Amino acid sequence: MAGKRSAIGAVEAPPVRRRIGVVVVDALPVVRAGLTLLIDGRPEMEVLGEAGSPDEALDATAKLRRSQVVVIVGLGLTGEHDSFWLIRNLRERFPTHTILGCGANADAGVISRALFVGADGYIDKNVDPVEFLQAIRRSSEKEMVLTGPAGVGVARIVDGIEQRRELDVRLTERERQVLAVAAEGLTARQMAIRLGVKERTVTTHLARIYGKLGVGNRLSAIRLAARSGLVSVGGSE
Amino acid sequence: MGDSLTGVIRVSVLGGHPIVRGVVGLACREAPDLELVSESDRMDGAVDAIVSTNPDIAVLDLDMPDGNGIWSLRELRRAGFPGRVLVLTDRTDGASVLEALRHGADGCLAKAEGLRGIAAALRRLAAGERLVDPALERAATTQLGRFATLARESSEAAAALTDRERQVLALLADGNTMRQMGRRLGISPRTVERHVAGLYRKLEVHSRVQAVTRAAALDLIDLR
Repeated sequence: MAGKRSAIGAVEAPPVRRRIGVVVVDALPVVRAGLTLLIDGRPEMEVLGEAGSPDEALDATAKLRRSQVVVIVGLGLTGEHDSFWLIRNLRERFPTHTILGCGANADAGVISRALFVGADGYIDKNVDPVEFLQAIRRSSEKEMVLTGPAGVGVARIVDGIEQRRELDVRLTERERQVLAVAAEGLTARQMAIRLGVKERTVTTHLARIYGKLGVGNRLSAIRLAARSGLVSVGGSE
Repeated sequence: MGDSLTGVIRVSVLGGHPIVRGVVGLACREAPDLELVSESDRMDGAVDAIVSTNPDIAVLDLDMPDGNGIWSLRELRRAGFPGRVLVLTDRTDGASVLEALRHGADGCLAKAEGLRGIAAALRRLAAGERLVDPALERAATTQLGRFATLARESSEAAAALTDRERQVLALLADGNTMRQMGRRLGISPRTVERHVAGLYRKLEVHSRVQAVTRAAALDLIDLR
């Protein structure tokens, strides 16, 4: 924003620093409303858009003309595309934006997964509003932020990321999908229906997965997957 | 935490420099609720000594004359030490701090601060708090971000490779010639060349050395 020029063409006022632009994404309208009030209440920030689903979020973000925006992504979005899908896509399409995962008492698995798929930081909804706003400010300056319950140690987040990478590297995309579905507790037959393949195909995939992960049964495989944040056991919110 | 009868917090210190041991010792002497129960000046044998003394808190100096104190930290946790661990360090880079937290440190203080308030820090640790100097915390968090990015890039690179290309990459890193690779994989040298070309393209490199270096940086192969 340029300063004003007087009619005589004298020196303009110093340019006002642009407000930090924020996009708020959360499944719950009340949460969006609350965050919007909080953020708009600050002179140095403004909410540029909001969305209740991953597709809406991508649309809302694509419409903006700014090169740098902070997108707060609630980690409770579910459905065909979930929050992690959204973070991954935002990261790919908008490399200059800052993406913050936002959960409620999320565990190390969830936080590590959010970071792994491309979030620039994580803020928990259970922190003081002042801290929440500070985190937005710091992250807009490209600082990595991790604010949340002190119980979640950095150590476990690092482990989670590493395990996630291990899984990713060892398993093919299809195998990861199969494992994610298996973790929902479905039978092989139900999995086959969900994935649109024959039951035989499912069991073959599972056998190969167990081999690659060095486990002997589905429960161990799921436990490995949960620890790495590949699947959320118990939900992220 | 602390002795259930007297409420005293028992502390062990492993410190390379007499000043470090001295500061901790002094803090314990001057505080009625802190007791220094053992002291070591080198890593060799220190872990055993700490484990057998079983203090509430082990203070470990990471800058030891006979090696990187991180090894003692890892050994201590591997030996099942259940107490709190406070590490002291000269290094302020995120990677060192992250490594310390990763291997079981509950607290991390920079020695440059002069260790003022070490007594208060020990009490907070004993009470179950995690305690990291704000500057070190920021460095560690930044490093965590870098780690996550690297993990993602590595994973994407790996996913882009076919199984065959991964096999070829491993053999390339071992120094095999095209012919040797062909024999190992049971394919013709021409097919090997095709795989190698695909590999170079996906890794965005132009030579074997570059391929191996890039793959190592992305953690796709072990150079050990």
